[in-house]
Amino acid sequence: MPYSEKLTPELTNMPKRPKILLVDDSPLILMVIGQALEKEGFISRKAGNVEEAMKALENEIPDLILSDYQMPGTDGFAFRQHLMTVPEYKNIPFMFLTSVTDHAHMIAGISLDAIDYIDKDTPIVVIISKINNFLNSIRERHEHTIRELSSAAIALNLYSVPQEIPRINGFEIDFWHKSFENYPGGDFIDVLTINNRYTFIILGDVMGKKWGAWFFSFGYLSYIRAAVRICVSEGDVSTKSIMQKINSVIYHDPVVSDVLSTLSLVRIDPENETLSYTGAGDLPLLYFSSRENKLNRINSSGLLLGISKEGGFDEHLFTMQPGDQLIMITDGLIDKETPAGKKTDLNSFIDEIEKYLGKTNSFATLKYDGFLNEKAREQIDDCSLIFIQKNS
Amino acid sequence: MILRTHLLNNALIADIQLKEANLANAEQFKSELMSLINKGNKYVIVNFEQVIYVDSSFLGALVSALKLAMNNGGDIAVVGLNNDIRSLFQLVRLDKVFRIYTNTQEALTGA
Repeated sequence: MPYSEKLTPELTNMPKRPKILLVDDSPLILMVIGQALEKEGFISRKAGNVEEAMKALENEIPDLILSDYQMPGTDGFAFRQHLMTVPEYKNIPFMFLTSVTDHAHMIAGISLDAIDYIDKDTPIVVIISKINNFLNSIRERHEHTIRELSSAAIALNLYSVPQEIPRINGFEIDFWHKSFENYPGGDFIDVLTINNRYTFIILGDVMGKKWGAWFFSFGYLSYIRAAVRICVSEGDVSTKSIMQKINSVIYHDPVVSDVLSTLSLVRIDPENETLSYTGAGDLPLLYFSSRENKLNRINSSGLLLGISKEGGFDEHLFTMQPGDQLIMITDGLIDKETPAGKKTDLNSFIDEIEKYLGKTNSFATLKYDGFLNEKAREQIDDCSLIFIQKNS
Repeated sequence: MILRTHLLNNALIADIQLKEANLANAEQFKSELMSLINKGNKYVIVNFEQVIYVDSSFLGALVSALKLAMNNGGDIAVVGLNNDIRSLFQLVRLDKVFRIYTNTQEALTGA
């Protein structure tokens, strides 16, 4: 699916509550403004001084900072000046909210790249409107930029997920991919059929997020496609050899070797009905055996691409029986929010997905009954799943 | 500062002062850790005791720092992983890349 189709419908209805960091030494102001913001659908974080604000920033980047000027210890100007020296923080929109409103101070404040300098006597509804107006204009500009970038990518024919899946005799292959907040991310998927015989299924995840990862996913995909074709043309169809070749190129290339990626590589040979799998730092394949009516894991031993020269790869050869299903996933799907905080939990993902498997319409059900979208909604990364079924 | 450091014997202990180690702080973590390595610290022990959750961007940052350390003839050990983070390391085979110890003391004797 082209990015444009994926991007537009969801941009408008995506409920995301903006986070505002309030910095003020008055607990009363923090409480009053905080409550008013929460009532309007914002998430408010509160800091009683600059030190607390810096701590809060280490844990989370807010959408906007609303800060007092006069505070014991570091004042709001010094706070703003410090933020401007930190690359991660300097672009967070910053507003002053203060009772020091003589012209000299207002000019000094605004000149620190603050987007506004608001008098504390301003009615709260007006303050909130100012925040809303500002965030809306940012969002519109942002959506516009994403659309521009996406159409540029489409024009250049840059896709990190396939446009269509080749048909293979005896197998059904399909995939599902969801970007995070409509950014293309680091996941990449490809399916290549070579010499009218071997089909290679590629699933990778470049570590990192959003545009940076997306950009590198093309670099990786090009290497992988090239390695697959070169190996096959040389008569070597082993997924382990191909993985070693890819790893070696990436390990030695300074441009991509700093960026790490997982890779699951599966080869299907419909002629003798065998599959071969090699993985690099990837999650195990989930294999549903219809005979045992059980979901098993196939673990590979390889390290993330580019970490070490050898990589420690292995190769699993297996045959799928009619009705058997094979699932490949990236780690975006297995994070889970729990009362104790976020955790990565493959086991509970397996428990949840198992009940959908072993049916003739397993993939359609996963895709359309909401399970996968529900999973994606909980996530902070892009998510991908490839589904392979042996037909009877 | 994400990392609070102190020297112990021949190693530099770097405590990660975060609950959630994710994309929002991965870049800063990477540059702090890399500058410690570039300052000549050969053996760095990264302490995850305060960390509840790690995402893949943060792991990527840790691995990049390890590559730098190894190029400089040094090493990074990892300590204080909770059960979830330890299984994540195992899941993506980073347990084969990093030396993982229960605590700083063990890492020092293993060094």
